[in-house]
Amino acid sequence: MAEEIVRVENLDLAYKNVHAVKGVSFSVKAGEIVAIIGQNGSGKTSTVECVEGLRKPDGGQIRVFNKDPWLRRGEVYKEMGVQLQEAEYPLKIRVEELCGLFASFYERPADWELLLAQMGLDEKRKRPVHKLSSGEKQRLSILLSLMGRPKLLVLDELTTGLDPEVRQNMWKSFGNIRKGGVAILMVSHYLDEVEVLSDKILYLEKGERQFFGTKQEFREYVKTRVPAGEWEETFSLEKLYLMITPKTAGLTMEGIL
Amino acid sequence: MKGFIALCKMELRLFTRDFFSFFFALVFPVLMLLLFGGIFGNEPVYEGANVRMMDVCVPAYCVMIIGVTSLMSLPLTLAGYKEKKIYKRFDATPAGKGNVMLAQVFVNVVMTLVGIFILLVAGAVLYHVRVKGTILPVSIGLSFSMAAMFSMGFLFTAVGWDVKSTSLLCYLFYFVMLFLSGATMPDMLFPDTVKTISGFLPMTYAVDLVQGVFAGDGLGLHGRELLVLGAVTVACGVAGAILYRRKDWT
Repeated sequence: MAEEIVRVENLDLAYKNVHAVKGVSFSVKAGEIVAIIGQNGSGKTSTVECVEGLRKPDGGQIRVFNKDPWLRRGEVYKEMGVQLQEAEYPLKIRVEELCGLFASFYERPADWELLLAQMGLDEKRKRPVHKLSSGEKQRLSILLSLMGRPKLLVLDELTTGLDPEVRQNMWKSFGNIRKGGVAILMVSHYLDEVEVLSDKILYLEKGERQFFGTKQEFREYVKTRVPAGEWEETFSLEKLYLMITPKTAGLTMEGIL
Repeated sequence: MKGFIALCKMELRLFTRDFFSFFFALVFPVLMLLLFGGIFGNEPVYEGANVRMMDVCVPAYCVMIIGVTSLMSLPLTLAGYKEKKIYKRFDATPAGKGNVMLAQVFVNVVMTLVGIFILLVAGAVLYHVRVKGTILPVSIGLSFSMAAMFSMGFLFTAVGWDVKSTSLLCYLFYFVMLFLSGATMPDMLFPDTVKTISGFLPMTYAVDLVQGVFAGDGLGLHGRELLVLGAVTVACGVAGAILYRRKDWT
């Protein structure tokens, strides 16, 4: 049985007036990809930031490699790579300097020169990071998350800003990384990505866990919640998600014209 | 340790790429020396005085360098890293923001000493300025001045909620102290009202102390300056640390 890398039990997190995460529980095993899905503001990023040890939970328990990530962040990060939803780097630092710097944080860093070439950033190595396009920055962020040859990857919106070809490449790469036994916890709004990559889904709504299980179990979960006449076995994950997620009011032409 | 050394190298590189820090810490004081040296030469401050103009100005410019790194360069770097969530990114590595901050303090202290060294060499070559004090009192004088000024800068970053508010505090205190503490022109030229205001500024005590130890005074003659600067260091350091604990780094 695969080793449990992340265990979250009854996680609670509140900001000033907002109860962002309410009693959420889930786990991630070695070689498994768990995708967190849900609307904006449903608590996805708050949840992963607690797992990353960047936010102190108000309640519940988190164990990453059997350690509390808030209290033992330095130790946990020796084996955990993180790609944040938004990441900025020091102004005027160049791509190769940033890679060299991050490599110095690990005992056995990845071959970042090779990764730069594989990520299509080799020609940009002398360029200041702030002058990269958003897609290039995203690729650099992914590269940096891999720098410590992690056993756990936490990816918050992995392919945002990437073109379709690079996205598909990333899916393939992360599929291979998972096969190497790496556990991956990812947040995504792209359900096609979740469908291709994930083994399990954690679905959050207003900070509460609505569902946690395999993709097949998610299909069954949705099936029980929609009228029989509306159900088709061939529905994509995106369609399933849209069937159960709360609807938001769209723009009407009245407000514009 | 490997990571900390790499962080120091990176911060050093970034310091040299930042025109403001580089120019005002390393170049501007020498330009001031050339300007005032060109006007006054290294003549006695007034007729019959045994103190010469550049012997007074060079230690004052040393404090000006301390002011640039401690009240401008370091606090604005810290505020910028925090606002852009760069510290958060480093927190998501084994290095952590603590090491980044430590590297930033280290580099700014080193660049302060480099700036002082360049100024002293320029002073010695151009105007035969000599440091009469021995190494111990000079080191202690500079250390107390740096500790107090860096603590103030630290407090400003703790009080400021973003880069704009931190900049406002830093610019305000830096320029007021720069012109009214004797760091740019000898305080003996100040009218009495300005001298009174000057007495409330920590940089004034740094200027007096550094000028004194450079001229060969023993530390015993500067107990008041040491006491004020020590108190500023402790007060700003403790207040800054308390406020920092309340900051949101995410």
